[in-house]
Amino acid sequence: MATELSLGSRAAPDRLRRHAGKILALAALLVWLAAGAPPREVFAPLWEWSPALLKGFALNILISLLAIGLGTLLGLAIGALNLSPLRLLRLPGWLWVQAFRNAPLLVLIYFTTYVFPFEIRVAGHYLPFPDWLKVTLGLALPASANVAEVFRGAVASIPATQWEAARSLGFGRGQILRAIILPQCCKRMLPPWMNLYAVITMGTALASLVGVHDLIDTAQIATNTVNRVGFTVLIYASVLGLFFAYCYPISRFTRYLERRHAFQ
Amino acid sequence: MSWLDAFVQWTGWLGLDYRFLLDAYERGSFVAGAWVTLQLCLCTMAGSLAVGVALAAALVSGRPWLAGPTRLFVEVTRNTPTLVQLYCAFLVLNMLISEVIGGANPFTPFAWVVIVISLHKGVFHAEALRAGIEAVPQVTLEAATSLGFSRRQRLWRVELPLAVRFALPSLVNNLIELVKMTALASAIAVGDITYASILIWTQRDNVLELMILILLFFGLLSFVVNCLGRGLEARLRMPGYGH
Amino acid sequence: MPSNDSCAPLIALRDLHLSFADTRVLRGIDLDVQRGQAVSIIGPSGSGKSTLLRCITGLLRPQRGQIRVGDTAVHELRSDAEFIALRKRVGFVFQQYNLFPHLSVLENLTIAPCKVLGRERREAQDEARRLLGKVRLEHKEHAYPGELSGGQQQRVAIARALAMRPELILFDEVTSALDPETVGEVLRTIRELIEEGMTCVLVTHEMRFAEEISDAVYFTEHGVIVEHGSPRQLFNEPRSPRTRAFLQHALGRGERERRPLVPAGAAAR
Repeated sequence: MATELSLGSRAAPDRLRRHAGKILALAALLVWLAAGAPPREVFAPLWEWSPALLKGFALNILISLLAIGLGTLLGLAIGALNLSPLRLLRLPGWLWVQAFRNAPLLVLIYFTTYVFPFEIRVAGHYLPFPDWLKVTLGLALPASANVAEVFRGAVASIPATQWEAARSLGFGRGQILRAIILPQCCKRMLPPWMNLYAVITMGTALASLVGVHDLIDTAQIATNTVNRVGFTVLIYASVLGLFFAYCYPISRFTRYLERRHAFQ
Repeated sequence: MSWLDAFVQWTGWLGLDYRFLLDAYERGSFVAGAWVTLQLCLCTMAGSLAVGVALAAALVSGRPWLAGPTRLFVEVTRNTPTLVQLYCAFLVLNMLISEVIGGANPFTPFAWVVIVISLHKGVFHAEALRAGIEAVPQVTLEAATSLGFSRRQRLWRVELPLAVRFALPSLVNNLIELVKMTALASAIAVGDITYASILIWTQRDNVLELMILILLFFGLLSFVVNCLGRGLEARLRMPGYGH
Repeated sequence: MPSNDSCAPLIALRDLHLSFADTRVLRGIDLDVQRGQAVSIIGPSGSGKSTLLRCITGLLRPQRGQIRVGDTAVHELRSDAEFIALRKRVGFVFQQYNLFPHLSVLENLTIAPCKVLGRERREAQDEARRLLGKVRLEHKEHAYPGELSGGQQQRVAIARALAMRPELILFDEVTSALDPETVGEVLRTIRELIEEGMTCVLVTHEMRFAEEISDAVYFTEHGVIVEHGSPRQLFNEPRSPRTRAFLQHALGRGERERRPLVPAGAAAR
């Protein structure tokens, strides 16, 4: 702008401006419902299939929760290893992080699915090792590598002066970590960790490619069974919508945390 | 091909089965897959950068009718799985297009992968560029204005050169993510390196061996992208401003 | 208005009003600057001094009032082209230097003459080198702004403004962001410009400097001109009690905390 005009109150256009996208989407949906008028034969099968779809999505969420839980535990252990003053201990951690951060998610999922056996023998009993659990492992591996990185970044972001100050007070290395550094790290780790969780959740969609009966697999079965154009459009839109409804609030909350952190 | 023999023999000692490399057909399909992945990477890199610039321009345009829908598109793309987006494009859009124009649908699976990944990563580029543009100090732009720069001159001589410098690290990261994302092409049977490997390991049951090759291949690609990015960052570095 | 008012002033502000949202920053400003004069504007922080300068070069638009720069009625300008024509004639030096960090010192000096005025590159470079010599930075032409000290950056910024061969230069608190050691070198550069007859308007907190170099001094507070006159009159016999209170505070502090701001050698030139 060549000149900045200082205007008075701009509240009303501002609201319109901020919600323009949402208003437009809503309008498009209304127009579609009114004009396109999706007929009953499209919505009826969707209603019929919705329990199966929701069950599939529940499996996606279960996988994501297990993967992030496992990945976090593993990642923190590796992160702790990476903090060690001994080079020999840091090396395997570094290798782990490099290998699993730079590998495509899909390739890792293929890896765990095809390399692990379908059942494991524990104390004479054969325990089934289902595909969805293998996918969980396949997602937990990159999750752990990323958690380790997030952890390292958080520790590095604590100013060195705090280490010095604590050392001058006579704290030992372990004490400084436990009492001073780690409590601050937790707060800094939360936004990137939640970001990672959203990524892992979206990664669960790949489970369908190795035959896990998740949301997308169910949607594919449904479209092949019903075999109607309108239904196909609707069901994939619903899949998109379900993932969005789950991940968008997470990303909004992450952004809120980041902003709050930035202003502190 | 004696060194291939030697390699297969040597890895055989380690318990790894790379005998497919001695089969001309299977070796050929693996190499072809690697070449397809490379083509995918190059096409989507160019495509995603173009999309990113366009979306960033829309986001900072200050026109609500343009920025609003773009924002919506950005949020939906960021918060849904790429695989579902690929299906929506390849299974739904492609089907609708085929219905409208009949059998002569010009969109191949390869094209759909390029389009979807370009749009997906373009969104992330756009966010990086937007942040870069917002990081340009207002006072620097004011200085350009006070020197009599026109809007266009100010944009091309001051605002964009600075914004790209601020955004470059994120852009390079996005491109590395993009390289990994091209593995998704195998989901709709585009013959990339992953797909070629699947075909081989279903025959020979040597998953681990191929997995190592794939990971090395993607690692190499990421490494190259990273090096190019770092090189560019060094070239565009502003002395005295450490990032 | 100034006493020796024979010809039309180069800058004339009449009844200038400007508010940001609910804050009234300028509340009726009148100010005249003759060609070749140096005019200082002093006053407490937040009294609208910088806003005033930005209005003169069209970076801000007042809600009411008239601004004339030579024949140009700035308050009537609308198109970008008209503003660009104005800004070619008016140099501006910022508190924070605002050099372009991605360009070398020489490029900072040549980009506007080449791109805005359409001068030849060679010619612009020769001129830029001459100007760098003038601000005593001829050895820094290949350096980048981030590698220079604050005082050096500010001198480059002055040279950048001069490279446009402007009719007048506006200085917006150009020493406020500097380390005390580098203030002197910047003031020396400005002093030399004034001695050469460049029309200058300075917003400044350097009272001693303003007193020494100005032809006229304006004191602003709360968006109005409280008092103006010759530096001798305003600094020694202020008419308004507001001016007196401000000067007492400002000079008292200056005397205690700052070393003499005028390098002894420079004053003799």
